[in-house]
Formats: sequence, structure tokens, C-alpha cells
Amino acid sequence: MPRRVEIAVIGAGVAGLCTALFLARAGREVLVIERGAAWGESSGANAGTLSLQIKRNEVLQVSRRAIELWRDFQEIDGIEVGFEQIGGLRVATSEREVAMLRRSQGEQAALGVETEWLDGNRLRDMAPWLGPDVRAATFCGWDSMSVPLTGGPGLARAVERAGAVLLADSNVVSIRQDGGRFRIGAGGNSIEAERLVIAAGAWTGQVCAMLGVDLPVAADVNMLTITEPAPHLIDRVITHIGGILSLKQYPNGTCLIGGGWQGRGELAAGTRETEHVSLMHNLRVAMQVVPDLAKLRMVRSWAGYEGVAADALPLFGALPGVAGAYVNACARGGYHQGPALGEEMARLMLEGRTGLDMRAFDPRRFA
Amino acid sequence: MKTCDLAIVGAGPAGLAAATEAAELGLDVVVVDENARPGGQYFRHPPAGFRPVGETPWEKDIRRGQSLFAVLGHPRVTYLPDAVVWDMPEPSVLAVAAGPRSGRVQARAVILAPGAQDRPVPFPGWTLPGVISAGGVQNLLKGQRIVPGTRAVVAGNGPLLLLVGANLVRAGVKVAAIIEAAPIWRRLPAELVRLVAAPPILAQALRYRAILAHAGVPILAGWTAVEASGSQAVDQAIIAPIDETGVVDRARRRRIDCDLLVTGFGISPAVELPRLLGARLRYDALRGGWTVERSADFETSVANLFVAGDGAAIGGVELALAEGHLAAQAVARRLGRLHAGEGSTWEARWTRLDRFRRGLESLYRPPRSYRALITPETIVCRCEDVTRAEIERRRGEGAASAVQLKAATRMTMGRCQGRNCLPTLATLLADWAGTEASAIAMPRPRPPIRPIPIGDLAVEDLPPPDLPADPHLPRGRR
Amino acid sequence: MTRRIDQGIDRGAAFRFDFDGQPVVAYPGETVAGALLAAGVARFRTTARSAMPRGLYCGMGMCWECLVVIDGRPSNRACMTEARPGMRVETQRGLGGPERS
Repeated sequence: MPRRVEIAVIGAGVAGLCTALFLARAGREVLVIERGAAWGESSGANAGTLSLQIKRNEVLQVSRRAIELWRDFQEIDGIEVGFEQIGGLRVATSEREVAMLRRSQGEQAALGVETEWLDGNRLRDMAPWLGPDVRAATFCGWDSMSVPLTGGPGLARAVERAGAVLLADSNVVSIRQDGGRFRIGAGGNSIEAERLVIAAGAWTGQVCAMLGVDLPVAADVNMLTITEPAPHLIDRVITHIGGILSLKQYPNGTCLIGGGWQGRGELAAGTRETEHVSLMHNLRVAMQVVPDLAKLRMVRSWAGYEGVAADALPLFGALPGVAGAYVNACARGGYHQGPALGEEMARLMLEGRTGLDMRAFDPRRFA
Repeated sequence: MKTCDLAIVGAGPAGLAAATEAAELGLDVVVVDENARPGGQYFRHPPAGFRPVGETPWEKDIRRGQSLFAVLGHPRVTYLPDAVVWDMPEPSVLAVAAGPRSGRVQARAVILAPGAQDRPVPFPGWTLPGVISAGGVQNLLKGQRIVPGTRAVVAGNGPLLLLVGANLVRAGVKVAAIIEAAPIWRRLPAELVRLVAAPPILAQALRYRAILAHAGVPILAGWTAVEASGSQAVDQAIIAPIDETGVVDRARRRRIDCDLLVTGFGISPAVELPRLLGARLRYDALRGGWTVERSADFETSVANLFVAGDGAAIGGVELALAEGHLAAQAVARRLGRLHAGEGSTWEARWTRLDRFRRGLESLYRPPRSYRALITPETIVCRCEDVTRAEIERRRGEGAASAVQLKAATRMTMGRCQGRNCLPTLATLLADWAGTEASAIAMPRPRPPIRPIPIGDLAVEDLPPPDLPADPHLPRGRR
Repeated sequence: MTRRIDQGIDRGAAFRFDFDGQPVVAYPGETVAGALLAAGVARFRTTARSAMPRGLYCGMGMCWECLVVIDGRPSNRACMTEARPGMRVETQRGLGGPERS
């Protein structure tokens, strides 16, 4: 006998869990189907950066709303996501980058996201630990950080408390649409759902293909490095106009260093390894921006997948040609945006319209 | 990138023996060692500033070590001390962190001789100052001529306990007792036939035994330390009988005053590099846990990657020396510098030592498990102060797998990179699953396999990176 | 008893370094851990999470338990660091410097 539910969500990463959370809070019956463990892939393996000012103009509103929701998770819902709004510095290290940063600041201001321009003494006053190569930075008070490692279990429990059911270790192998219902084969389970949300991150392309929809999804293999715990030094979230550095120091003293440097791996083979030379470049950029990092020891590095649509905008909306199916995945910086994308997905499914303007993310753009 | 015929990781007995053999056979050799001075743990010796006056019990080992160190001055040998291998991006490439000397070394073949590390056995109080590993005490005795206490209890499992006990006695320390978990006296008669395969080692062991007997040091076999007590440092060791299945009889526990509790529950091969490179490993409880599978030539399942000595499987110093020579001969044959059939007397020696080793392992076979020592309040992860109770609480909240438990408790994520807690986590996971630790897959390590200063990554000349034109767009492949 | 084994060895000329404001005697080539233990100091640090006392454990650079602050810089392994005349060694408390409030 197949298990019958109203809504099945495929994927228990941040996008799937947040979609399920808002649907369940609205009283809907939700089953979240996960190939491995909840929060086991990109959501748990990313840098936890919640930087508004590094986002593309198209996703600024979603990203700002997401920061409010991350804060609510921590402060209202009591979910330990390690949220701290310490503000962020987006740095530029060359004349060309300074010009890019100026342009970006202007565009963001026009969209209602104000940042503060810092250079010279004002920059050193705020961040005396920045290296001499940093020529300018913009400060954004919205910028925050979180702890991806520990946020997942808390969010998963909150989803269950809201009434949704989590089905882990259940890889979706088949989806058929039959008499207005979706029949899903997942890890030996047979599930029937009236509606379906595909929030499968890097695996979204594979899952959509089961319904005959081809979406262009790439799997980046992002590397991260964490240092030994050290006395407190870096009190802002650091990002880079070139998109090649993210850096923050957690309350336990460890510094997490990323920046989208690519490791080696194949989604199909399940491999994701660090790449020696790129890792060195990643850490050299970090040392250029914060020279004191040179004295710290690196303790671990790892690599995690990030599913990205070909144009790096979210895949958000009704799946073209498949009534009742939706996709919510593959935003660049999808960890950050996850809560707002989940909230909007629930709204779309429940009310038929979104609160924010989500038209640019409609998957029909690839149809 | 520096190139050579043979790169050797480790300048302990196996690494030095391999370097000696390889240099004699005409190979260009690079030896990378993380210590400031050669010799590894066994041939640890006092600093140059200490001048010997007359004969001491250690002189013989020092002279033996020094004859091995001679190879490091050989014109075909480049010796990199204070240098940590933190990654092997290819099986033929070592990434070395060594301050301003950092960079990569490319070799036609690699012999890993990284030695071993302590096998962690947590019990209440094992984190107190004054509780020191047997290897650590040996290093203080041999390398510093310093004793870290005045009244000692030596507890654990294995022949090293007798050696440390005897050395402490000779150094003037009051040794209250040797606490050996294996019932060695009961087993000894059956193992003598194999132990006589290496008469000099056996004679040495009997000498240590005599020193201890002369000093009136009791050796309690079939007992274990179950707790170290004290507030800022250890002031008592609590011991109790343990049987071969690991059951501890706490009703018969005894307290012994001490300011030094030496613990040595055996050592495990340092298999990080073979594991990193995907070499096949095999679980062998008697040889330290996870060991490296090797051919008769000491080559791993990864071509041209060899492992010699305790770094492959625990076998002791004499076996390590033999394996170093034999592995270097195998490399020389591979590189056409030595013809098949040419060789030495090392094979016969290795065979004899291997027989002795089996006898010793059988004599000292440890209890099936020490899990009875890990009480709820026992610290399992020393880096993050995680107790067994905390691990079990997180498990109760749904963290079932090793990955989830690590995320929830932060265990294995500290500076020791899990060396002090991963084996215990495997034991706990095996318990819960009703299986053996050998059935628990260990995570593949990622670089750095040792914590290294980030500044060391700034040294090597690298081609400029390929920066993304638009950082938002996908950087990988579809 | 002395914790330095003097039989058969001439250690050369003693020097001093500072440990938590007290002078500690060392000899050329001794490690910070060796000299502290010889002076009867077993506790080198307290942990960041629970302020538990720790000292030398593995003695070979693998366990990272014997961390001390040296000349203001935290997290030096006492077992791997050679003592030098005049160096300023401190018990490491937690991270060994300012922590986040």
C-alpha cells in the first residue's frame, strides 16, 4: 500500500526543510523525502555566510527577507542556527575591484540596500586586522553568519514539531504522474502525493528529468577550510567583490575560510575532494586580506556540492508542463536564501501568488 | 617542485633504514621528518648540548641511532627535518609544510615510514595533568633526561610497560606498580617457543623484568587502571581486575597514591597518508587496529607507494629496520638499480622477527574491549571536552551516524583531528550496532593530515589562479 | 628528588625563562615541557570549553594538549618547543587571548 500524503517534498536541505516548515505551519500534511540524512549535503557543508551585499541584484529582496527569517529561527523559534548579525565587509584589493565595488554599491542602493563605503583610516579603524592590500570595502549591517553544522538538526526537529514527517535514507528513483497524483518510488517506499516540491539541490536536474523536464543544473564543488581555535580577532563577516573569499571567526575561536574555490568531484560518482593548488590559492587570498591568518594553523578542509542553475538564479516556481509539481532549488547562495525561498514556495502553493517578485526565477525561462 | 628517485616520510628506524639502503644502491633520496632531530620515537636522543659522562643505560641505543643518522649526511640524501607532510595530491607527490622551506616534492617512488601513535583508551581522569602516555614518558627520559614525577604507576597493555617501568626505576623514580591488562603470566609458557626466535629481544625483556623485581615493583597482570583521581593533577590511580572479555571487577578496586600515571594501551599505525591515497587497509586488532595491506615487497595497493615499519602494522623497532631495508631494495629493483635475486640477509632476519612478533602479540593480546572503562562522565574527545554522556544524549536526540554525532558534539573536529577520539567513536558505534569496531568504516581524511600554519602555503611558486569572470555563475561543470 | 637525571650527563650552562612570573631553570636543548615538568609544573593550560586542567600527554606533538602561551602568542606545543633564555611562558587559559563576549 502506498503511503498517501498531500504534499511530498524531495530533499531535506535548507530549501526543502524550510518549504516543509511553512507548509506544515499552515496545517498542510507534508512528507519530506531525503536520499541520505537531513542536512547531510550542501546545507551542512557550506560556509554559513549570510551576506546580503554579495548577492546578485535579482535576489536582494529574497536574501534580505531570508536574514530576517534566520534571525527569527534563532531568537523566536529557539532553533540553534548560530545566527549572529555582526555586519559584513566586502573587500576590494585592486583598482579594478574598487571600481566594481563602487558600481555594485550604487546598484544596491538603487534597490534599497544601503552600504557604507570605507577606505583609508576609516576602514582601518573599523577593521585594523585587514591587510594593506585591501583598498576599500563596503560595510553592510545586514550581513550575518550562522553555523551550518549545528543548524540542521534543530531545523529538522522544528519541521517535525510543526507536523511534517521526515523520511531519511530514501533515494527517489522514480516519479510517475497518474490520475492527478504523483507516485514516488524512494528507497523501497512507495508514496502517493497530490502535490510535489523538488528541492533536491545539486540533484534537482536528475529528479526533474524523472518527470521529463530538462533543467540546466551544474554542481560546483566548493572547498572550505577551518582553522584551530584562536583568540578573537575578526569581528565581521568578510567577503570579496571578486567572489573569491568568505571568512568569519566563530565564537569558539575557529575561522572558516571559503570563497567558492573548486575542489574535484563528480556528482554522479559521489566524489568531492579538495584540490591541492586551488586550496593554496584560497588560503593565499585569505592571508592577503587578513595577514594574521598566516600564524594560525589550518585543521580541516572539505568540499561540498552546490547545485547552481545555468544563470545562477533560483529555480523557483511551478515545474513547466507538470501540473502540481514545483521546484525550489539551485539558487547561488541557496543556503542563505533558503528560509525566504521556503516561505515564498509555501505561499505560492497555498495562495497561488508570492509576496516578493519571484518572476525572474520561474523555471519556464529554460523551457 | 623538487624531484628525486625516492621520497621517504619519517626519519625513525624504518625511514632511516630505507634511506641507508637506497643511498647505497645509488638512489637520490629525500627524507621528510616532522621532528627537529632524527630517530623517531625509538632513537630519540638528548640534544647536542648534553655531553655524556661515562656510561649510562641508554648509550647503546644512542650509538646505534647515531650510526643510522649518518646516512642523512650522504651526498645523495636530502634531509628535511621539522617538515610536515600535510597532503599527497598524487601518490608520487608530497606537499611539505616547513616554514620558508615549504613546497612539493615529486618522487618516482615513496616509502612511508610515519610510525605509530598512542591508541587512546579513555577512562575517568585520563585528561588530568600527570597522566602521561608511555611514549611521552619515554621521550622525556630519552630525549630530555627528565622524569615527570616522583611516584609512578605504569598501566596499560604491552611490552612497553616493562621498558618504561625499568627506565623509571633506573632514573630513581619510585614505581608503585605495573598494571598489565593481559594475563601474561598464564600465557607465557605457551608462547616461549615463538619468543625464542629473537633471543636478544627476549634477553632485554628479562633484564627489564629483573630491574623491576630488584626494585620490588609488583607487576599485576589482568588488571587495568579504571580511574585517575585528583583535582588539578593526578594524585591517585584506581585499578581493578579486567578479564579477557573486558569485564572489569570494580568491587576489587584498589587505590595507589602517585603523581605520575603512565598509560600505554598499545600503539596504532599512523595510516593517514595511505588512507588519504585510498590504499587498501585491513583491521588487525593485534597489530594496532587499522593496518596497511602490503605485498611481499611492502608495496601498498597504490603503485609505487610503499610502507615500512610500525606505520603499516605494529611490529617494533627491529622489524621496522628490516622492513626499511627491504622496501628500499624493492624500490631499487623497480627503478632498475638492483636486479632480482640480488639482495641481502634482511629477508631471513625479517622472517625470524616476524615469528617473534607473533609470539609477543599472542602473549599480550588485550581484552576484547576497554569500553567498561568509558563511564558516562569520561571525556572521550579531549580537544572539545566531550563526554560519553553527551555523545549518548545527542544520539538520543537523533544523531545516529558518525557524521551526525560529530556535527552535534564537535568531537573529532579539534586540533588532534580525531586521533584521540575516533577509535572510541568507532567502538561506541560498533556497540550500538552490535558489531565490531572493524566493521565501522573510518572517514577518509582530507588534507591537511596534520594541522599546519596557513603561512606555509604562501611559500611555493604557483601559477596565477584562474579567477571567475562572473563569480555568480557556476564554476564547476554541468 | 630532582626530576633531572644527572647520571652520565653534563647538561651545560643553565639559563632561566619566565613561567607565570616565576623563574624556571632550563638547559640548552630542553623543551618547554621538559623544563616545566622538571620544575614540578604539571598543569600547562585550562580548556576553553570547561576550564579543565591539562598537561603533557603524548609528548610527541600529536595530541595538542600541552599548549602554552609563549611571548604573548597562544597555542604553542610545549613538547615541541625548545626553551630559550628569557622567553615568557604562560599557562594558557582557554584560547589564550581575548574571547568573544
